[in-house]
Amino acid sequence: MAKDKDIIDGCLSGSRRDQELLYRRYSPKLYAVCLQYAGNTEEARDVLQEGFIKIFENLSRFSHEGSFEGWMRRIIVNTALERYRNRYYLNRVDDIEEVTEPEAEPDTSDFAGLEAFDLLNMIMELPPKYRMVFNLYAIEGYSHKEIGEMLGISEGTSKSNLSRAREILQKKVMILTGVTRRMVNV
Amino acid sequence: MFEREPNIDIVFRNGLKNLEVLPPADVWDNIPPMPVRTSRLRIISGIAAGVAALVSLTLLATWYGRNSNTPVLLTEVTTPDGDTRDVPLDIMEASPIAAPAGAKVITMPRTAEPAELPLLTTVIPAADEPARLLAQVQADIPAIKNQADEPARLLAQADIPAIRDQDNTPVELLPEEITIVTAGRFAKTEESPLVTLAEIPAAKTDPRFIVGASVSPTMGFSRTGEDARITGLINSERSRPTYSTGVSVGYRISDRLTVHSGIGLASMGQTITDVAIYAGLSDYYAVKSNYLYSLETATGTILAGNTDLYLTDTKDRVGTLIQGNMADPSKYNLTQVGSDIHQVFRYLELPVMVRYRLIDRKVGLNLSGGVAYGLLVGNTAYTGQGSETIMVGHTEGVNEFNLSSQVGLGMEYNVSQKITFNLEPVFRYYVTPLSNFSGAIYKPYSLGFYSGFYFKF
Repeated sequence: MAKDKDIIDGCLSGSRRDQELLYRRYSPKLYAVCLQYAGNTEEARDVLQEGFIKIFENLSRFSHEGSFEGWMRRIIVNTALERYRNRYYLNRVDDIEEVTEPEAEPDTSDFAGLEAFDLLNMIMELPPKYRMVFNLYAIEGYSHKEIGEMLGISEGTSKSNLSRAREILQKKVMILTGVTRRMVNV
Repeated sequence: MFEREPNIDIVFRNGLKNLEVLPPADVWDNIPPMPVRTSRLRIISGIAAGVAALVSLTLLATWYGRNSNTPVLLTEVTTPDGDTRDVPLDIMEASPIAAPAGAKVITMPRTAEPAELPLLTTVIPAADEPARLLAQVQADIPAIKNQADEPARLLAQADIPAIRDQDNTPVELLPEEITIVTAGRFAKTEESPLVTLAEIPAAKTDPRFIVGASVSPTMGFSRTGEDARITGLINSERSRPTYSTGVSVGYRISDRLTVHSGIGLASMGQTITDVAIYAGLSDYYAVKSNYLYSLETATGTILAGNTDLYLTDTKDRVGTLIQGNMADPSKYNLTQVGSDIHQVFRYLELPVMVRYRLIDRKVGLNLSGGVAYGLLVGNTAYTGQGSETIMVGHTEGVNEFNLSSQVGLGMEYNVSQKITFNLEPVFRYYVTPLSNFSGAIYKPYSLGFYSGFYFKF
């Protein structure tokens, strides 16, 4: 199996074959990321296509110092955010909601039977503004300040959206698993 | 607020970590081929070199133009009473005042009105003049004014009253000591309201500098030489249309002779025929080498840096690092992507040209000749056409620098006094070899048809 560096070098020298190899290798993972952010398959395929064009255009800038997959993932996420920013306007007054304390949560061991696709579907069903914040905070690990800057919203709105997203997801998870809430100390 | 990360976050993060979903099949079809870009550093270096060369040439030409036209300007004037004093000279408005060696300058009389004098610049009296001038010095001014001889009258109008008023004795002047300045114009200042002479119309001079840009389609040709191998390779190659473009700065030495320099970008290239190129090799060979296949050409050896390509031909030009015929396209699932390879070389050029105007009319004719120094800035080999091109690699053995000579016969049309349109067929021959391939010297030639506009100032 060819190494990433060899494939990248091939791409940079203009090999269409290497470009396709790169795409085939990483597109399934990156398409899953697209679905997380896009919410539907049509939007996700557009994000993937646009993201890969950017990846190829900027491939010469990859310094081989960090994870190549991580570098591509950031491009895909940024592409999704860019499309989202152009489509939605989160920074509205009515978006600023009271941040509520999270309810006590069920033990994660109760969700062991959950399939990744179930989780993906739950995220995709979230309203866009909740989905974006949840992905950026819970999956990517950004802070509320960073998310605010990325999405053009306040930190308070980011926290509020995250709280609401968690609430929705918890309910969905429990419905799906049929778990009777077992309170744990947090 | 949240002392511990909520479990729901962990559930989703871990659950989605390795999720893979096959994208729709047509996404790949809508992703265009990756553009192959020239090194940014190389582009920036080229532009910087060009700008530097242009600025240098312009400064050099300006410096030369000023120095070659500037005589010794007098800033010190010797007065009749023997004193010297500085006179502010407005260089922009005054004609240059040239002083013969050892000559003294006599200032003009103070007058508020412009003198109605002929526009002379410098008059040095003949050898027999001093006696007559001295006589006139001692005579009355009206009498002198009747003289037809202008230098004498000018001298009289100049310092004669001052001399006479001061000590009423004649001033002895030798011929080499006399210079009469009539067309000079000193600036009127409060400290030195010396003279106001007649308005001197600005001399009409033809523009000396020329700046222009031109572009030309070019076609390169190769000579078959004594080397049988080179001849065989050249016979398998054909010329391909390329281009040459650039900007130039010219300086007009005389009415007919102009020196040009500038910077340009010239492209050369040929097509190597009868080579079968297949793609898909990287599926079977994971290589660490910079190339797997090579191809001999008259210009050098193409190294196929694109290791996804399999090359083969029937003329024994293709070499490979792969032992034996392991990469058989019929054995593996390789796709033929081309049957020839295009070589392209790009040169940054610094020409120095001399242009002689054979016919100097509205529609003129020029003969030009000179040399151009070329720096290799682009060296690529690719296959395919249009947007469906695949990079093959580059050519080894091409000289980084070259020197070419060129002659041209141009038709020049003066669109206006300042703008000229030029059409010029140019023949170029490479003095230094384009490459040293296997000891054989390769010197191609080319024919271009330059057209462009030039601005004179």
